[in-house]
Amino acid sequence: MRKLTSFATGARLVALLALTMLLSVRSATAQDILIPMDESQSDHLKAYGLTFWALERQVDVDWLLNYRGGSFLMVREADIEAELRVRGVHYEVISGSRTASIISEVESDAANTSVVRLEKPPKIAVYAPDQTLPWDDAVLLALTYAEVPYDMIYDDDVLGGALDEYDWLHLHHEDFTGQFGKFFNYRTTAWYIEQQREAEMTARRHGYRKVSDLKRAVVQRIREYVGGGGFLFAMCSGTDTFDLALASHQTDIVPAEYDGDPVDPDALTRLDYGHTFAFQDFRPVFNAREYEHSDIDSGPPPQPLRNPAVDYFTLFEFSAKYDQVPTMLTQNHVATVKGFIGQTTNFRKHLVKPNVVILAEAPGRNEVRYLHGTFGEGTFTFYGGHDPEDYQHFVGDEPTDLSLHKHSPGYRLILNNILFPAAKKKKQKT
Amino acid sequence: MTILRSSRPFSFLLAVLLASAGLMTSAVISPRSASAQNVEESQVGRFQLAESFLRAAQYERAIGMLEHLYAESPGTHVFYERLREAYESVKRYDAAIALVDDKISSETSPTAYLTEKARLLYLKGDEAGARVQWERAIATNPTSPSVYLLVYRSLLQLRLFDYAIEVLEDGRSVIDNDTLFQTDLAYLYNLTNQPDKAVGKFLELLALNQNQLNYVKSQLGTFLNSEDAIEKSIAVAQEGVANEPLNRSFRELLGWLLVEGDDYREALEVYRGIDRLDREEGRVLFGFGLIAADGGAYDVALESFDEVLSRYPESASAPEAMRGLAMMQEKWAETLGEQVFDIAGTRQERNHWDEALETYQRFLIEYPQHPQFPDVLRRIGSLQQDVFFDLTAAETVLKEVVARYPQTDAANQAAYDLGRLAVTQNRLEDARIQFSRLLTRLRTGDLADLARYELAQLHFYKGDFDAADSFTRAMQENTSTDVANDAIDMKVLLIESKGPDSLNTPLRRFARIQLLTRQRDYQVALNQLDDLMNEFGQHALADDMLMEKAQLQARTGDTESAIMTYLQLPLLHPASFYGAQSLVEAASLQARFGSPDEAVATYQRVLTEYPGSLLIPTVREAIRALRGDELGS
Repeated sequence: MRKLTSFATGARLVALLALTMLLSVRSATAQDILIPMDESQSDHLKAYGLTFWALERQVDVDWLLNYRGGSFLMVREADIEAELRVRGVHYEVISGSRTASIISEVESDAANTSVVRLEKPPKIAVYAPDQTLPWDDAVLLALTYAEVPYDMIYDDDVLGGALDEYDWLHLHHEDFTGQFGKFFNYRTTAWYIEQQREAEMTARRHGYRKVSDLKRAVVQRIREYVGGGGFLFAMCSGTDTFDLALASHQTDIVPAEYDGDPVDPDALTRLDYGHTFAFQDFRPVFNAREYEHSDIDSGPPPQPLRNPAVDYFTLFEFSAKYDQVPTMLTQNHVATVKGFIGQTTNFRKHLVKPNVVILAEAPGRNEVRYLHGTFGEGTFTFYGGHDPEDYQHFVGDEPTDLSLHKHSPGYRLILNNILFPAAKKKKQKT
Repeated sequence: MTILRSSRPFSFLLAVLLASAGLMTSAVISPRSASAQNVEESQVGRFQLAESFLRAAQYERAIGMLEHLYAESPGTHVFYERLREAYESVKRYDAAIALVDDKISSETSPTAYLTEKARLLYLKGDEAGARVQWERAIATNPTSPSVYLLVYRSLLQLRLFDYAIEVLEDGRSVIDNDTLFQTDLAYLYNLTNQPDKAVGKFLELLALNQNQLNYVKSQLGTFLNSEDAIEKSIAVAQEGVANEPLNRSFRELLGWLLVEGDDYREALEVYRGIDRLDREEGRVLFGFGLIAADGGAYDVALESFDEVLSRYPESASAPEAMRGLAMMQEKWAETLGEQVFDIAGTRQERNHWDEALETYQRFLIEYPQHPQFPDVLRRIGSLQQDVFFDLTAAETVLKEVVARYPQTDAANQAAYDLGRLAVTQNRLEDARIQFSRLLTRLRTGDLADLARYELAQLHFYKGDFDAADSFTRAMQENTSTDVANDAIDMKVLLIESKGPDSLNTPLRRFARIQLLTRQRDYQVALNQLDDLMNEFGQHALADDMLMEKAQLQARTGDTESAIMTYLQLPLLHPASFYGAQSLVEAASLQARFGSPDEAVATYQRVLTEYPGSLLIPTVREAIRALRGDELGS
């Protein structure tokens, strides 16, 4: 398996990343391009794509964590400048001495900032079916808008070993329990019938009688991929159903409405929480008609707060020099991000495993919005909610036009994840 | 069929109870001996308790009670049914199968129980054993359609669609009746992505009842989600029509499928056939012509309308077809960007504008009493004015509409056109009267707003800038109208370009030049513009004048000069509102006239020199288009 980077434990990660400091010193004679990611940026989302584009051209990029919203620094070249203008990304041309001054300021012990060298763009896979489904996928939207190249893979590819070709895997509104998203009310619509038929055919092709068996094999393969050093990013129902499927590898949690046979009466006692990534002690929802997979999801906020004007979550601030991975994942130009609802919105805090790092939470509600953890040689990041710029995205709604949300803090969190695997391993500062 | 039979009153109570619990339905499905269903009073209580246990998910306790109840009264179907369900709930398939076996051994007609057993065996994982039981079930009465339906429903529950198809097809063959299970098979073929076979079954259904066409379309429409599915469906429908050419529903289905597949040419043949066979006298062809025109298949729509007119000139569809044809030709000409005269004023070869005009004129001759006559007359006037520039002919026609058909929409539109025509002919006072009268008559609406804007323009041309400003102020209140933006543009020009003294001489002369441009007197306008620029080169209007000049040069075909003028503007007036726009126009001309690299360089200038322009997104798109960028994955 080709891996650009592989992080082990948090301590090991930080140790490796510390190496970057030594490599971050730039020539004081050349001019550089600073892409500020604070309020002055004209298009935050395209800035990530431009950085990715530069990495593809073997241009090293320094990610200045917590410096002006997590800015990017790279050598000044005419092609890069032209592309920045074409993509509408605001940048500043700075002198070599100014670069040195900024680096010095960022590396100073007095500030909670640091430099991470980005070296090689990760190869990205998005786990999604060929079939067009009547909802958007925030990561696909973000990658497409930011112009970051990606491949789409699905069950056949995963089971065929295609994951080995990728560094970063994304899951979105997916149901790994084999309950077809629990869209019971849509079971007579064409897209649902097609989705179910395709899934059943794939299951049979791979020798499984039920879709839930197929999906369990898929999550097991993804688990191995992460264990071997892969980066997993999941959103919405791709988060909790992933752990549900892992936990239920010895039992049947799917109601008869979806797989023809009833739930295992001993399902609750047979759940294997030791097999999961992020959650433990949860209970699946066995009601086929309830649009919810488990109690991991705390659901939409309570009614007085279920309002885009007042619903928000806060990002934790980490030590940029000692906790560089969570710092990278939470780079933003704002500390609070407006909320958004999905089939899975927030994770109940008491069901999150103790070794998982909480990156963002809904204040005062014991609900986690965004978390990160390590498994084996790889990492996983789970982000609740469906579409950061569509408070409540319904089936059949038009996809969000990101050109109208160029500064979206919620979408920035997604794009932090695609650059994080590009970071050069660095030794811990201490 | 009764569920329970007892001389005791509480038996009736149990029946009501069980029925209210929803058990009656499931009980009806399975045959059983009605004589063995006496129920003791204590059994009712225990059954209710067992039900409570089931609801509380205490399956083992419920099973214990239900086993006793079943042992005491094996003929009571609900006891059997609940016990089997309870076994299934805890996946005790062997116990459930043993229970069903018990029923099979005691029943003379065990078909339903055999399908039950098969289903349970499948759930247990014994697929071969399940198949044997389904086959046994069919063997109990292989000539009965209901037996096949029982097995089919059992298979449907397990989503074994391919096997269900096999069973139903076998049933038709054994019973030797091809009219059986048509909708069930069509449904299964759709579910298994075999649209061609689904269409085959629907054709069988239509052969029996043509009124089912809408049902068939609705069923098929759900699944026609790929080109391949449509193509396969069309092939089968074509075969059906070939076999039964007189069946109209077959043809309509085929026509509909062809339109779904955007094959309007073939669809025309089909609708033509329907029209002839059913002596519709063009009604079907006219309807199809409208569909084809909406779909952009103008050549096919043309043929369709033409055929209505040539074959059925006396039919009720003929006038509508003729008007529809002319309107479609207008749309066609617009789509192709056709012109009647080139930049130099030379008459171009006959094109769709000529066809449209002639078709409208034919309409007037052939259908003088038709209700659409005023509308067609007005359309001729508009064409003469805006496309053929025959102002005299246009005026005659439009006046006729206003005089002969007052109080109609056509008359109002004609009055508006007459006002515009007067502007073109430099009869500004006549134009003012036309627009004022129209505005008084209409007050509100799109046409009223257009008239209001024309009045503002008239005041502007005459140098009456305060009056023009008053009109624009009124119009910009309603930002939903199309002309609101034009009104705002005019207002900005008025605010920025007055002076240098109270006579506002440069703006007056500039307004006059704009009027000349509207009257297509381009060369005179260009000459006057040059004079104005020489005299007032430093006036606030200087950039407007350069922009106007470049546009006039482009209109007169002097592309090279136009590009130069556009490029000159940001050099002379770097802070001008038109800076970015002039570069975009120059780049657009460069791209159109074969210099894509120069165009990209010019577009890049917009990005560097005017990074805050509203045109930036357009510029980025243009650069990417010229570079041939592929966005997305």
